[in-house]
Amino acid sequence: MAVSLHPSGAPDPATAALADRVAPSVTLPLRFMLAGLAALFLGMCGLVARPDLLAAYHYNQHIIALTHLFVLGWLGSVVMGATYQLVPVALETRLWSERLARWHFAIHLISVAGMVWMFWVWNMKQVGHFGSLFALGVGLFIWNLARTLRRAPRRTVTGIAIAAALGWLAAAILFGLAIAAYKCTYDSETGLATAVGVRSLVSGLRNLARYMARFDPIAAMHAHAHLGAVGFFTLLIVGVSYKLVPMFALSAVQRPRRAALSLALLNAGLLGAFFSVLLRSPLKPLFALVTVGGLAVYGRELLAILRARKRAALGGAVATFLTGVALLIPVSALALVLSWPGLPLNTFTGQLENLYGVLGLLGFVTLAVIGMLYKIVPFLAWFGAYSRHVGLARVPAFGEMYAARLQRFGRWSYLAGLFVVSAGILASNAPLVRAGALALVLSVGSLLINMGQVLRHWVRPQVGAPLSAQPANVSAP
Amino acid sequence: MTSPALTETAVWNALRRVVDPELDCNIVDLGLVYGVAIDGARVRVTMTLTTPGCPMHESLCAGVQRALLNLDGVEDADVELVWYPPWHPAMMSDAARARIHARFGG
Repeated sequence: MAVSLHPSGAPDPATAALADRVAPSVTLPLRFMLAGLAALFLGMCGLVARPDLLAAYHYNQHIIALTHLFVLGWLGSVVMGATYQLVPVALETRLWSERLARWHFAIHLISVAGMVWMFWVWNMKQVGHFGSLFALGVGLFIWNLARTLRRAPRRTVTGIAIAAALGWLAAAILFGLAIAAYKCTYDSETGLATAVGVRSLVSGLRNLARYMARFDPIAAMHAHAHLGAVGFFTLLIVGVSYKLVPMFALSAVQRPRRAALSLALLNAGLLGAFFSVLLRSPLKPLFALVTVGGLAVYGRELLAILRARKRAALGGAVATFLTGVALLIPVSALALVLSWPGLPLNTFTGQLENLYGVLGLLGFVTLAVIGMLYKIVPFLAWFGAYSRHVGLARVPAFGEMYAARLQRFGRWSYLAGLFVVSAGILASNAPLVRAGALALVLSVGSLLINMGQVLRHWVRPQVGAPLSAQPANVSAP
Repeated sequence: MTSPALTETAVWNALRRVVDPELDCNIVDLGLVYGVAIDGARVRVTMTLTTPGCPMHESLCAGVQRALLNLDGVEDADVELVWYPPWHPAMMSDAARARIHARFGG
């Protein structure tokens, strides 16, 4: 690939670069990420206000509302924004339509806020309506990404993982809508004679509700949660980390077949786990084992990548990501225990299920996402503020755009908070959950301060002196 | 004819002004620049990145062009991005290794 520039009458280098760019403009992923951070803070404050939600069984409207705030508002927003940014770059192609992605953001924001609110007040008809709007946004997201993936010059393990994650996301949303349809009370279609389309729709939803009635609602909710948490978030994290961890650690995937095996096991395990959870089948432990096997193979490949790295210390962002990945060990252990068919259905088992969800979503996925945020947001701000000054003036490195100490404080306070929340869940002790949640709020506060520092560079760039005399960060020529 | 002000040393020094913000090290010491060719007022740089799909692709290529065009005697700057031979950390200079280890520990 050759890039040529002719100064006489030609565009500025930055303009030339823009013409060749593969990533969307920085404001697109940033708006998703800011919305996600706001949802995270709100969700943690929610846990402080209502610690009793985690100290009791999770089948109630408020914990479902809070879970959707974390899953769709926090994790969904950030992961979707990051996907718009990373997929074109990692797969060396262009986003199919940035305009469609902007529409997606507007729909996402309205639908998630509406869904969480309607879950909180338990208006399932409106949950269905906002959920349908959310599904429309996700449809745009999947369509846009699928078209982008088709443009990729080669098939990679990361590309395959992203494609599979998008498929599972679609399945999770459709199944979630089916659950909502089951919980709705629809007006009779006979009163809708003049609007044939609406009548058919209502009739179809009633039939769907009748079909869903054959499943245990709690099992259906658990099956839906696994589609989203394992199918979308876990597969995406695993697949993208096969690209990003070697990039940040100056290493390479050591055994591509092992990486592919981890994805195959995760997909096969999830498919079986979905049906065995939904049908309360005794085969649950088998598929849990297959899924955990996929994670174990992933862990082995990740260790091999890290052992072969050329960058001795990895920095706070990768450390946070790896801390999240390490939490897969207790999450996997809990998955194996909870899949056991002979497990007594008592209060403690219910609390173990709460712990499994919290360690999975607020532990593994959240820490992995926070780690990646510390890479992505500085890059976006840097790109917006400093890209045009590269080669002409001294510009900050990513690590200089935020406080490393605050980042360390955030990681440790998060882990401490998670530990205390976990203890509170196991003991069904609301004050203990609140104490842990307060530490989590502090941690998220430190994350917000650091992200604010990063974004300050975007608003007010701190460009150094022109590099006319001295080369930057240089050895003797 | 090559401009008297334009020497290979000047070009390499200009390239050292382009810094990878992730590793906080210039692209020459990182071993990303494979070659420089000067033809009159035209400079052609052959370089790579640490990995295909590197997010810094646009910024670094445009930065190289800016740094070169900022030199006296350069009227045209080409950047050829190549993936062979693939970059390897062994291509870093001792100074780069020392800098990265000093910055990130190890």
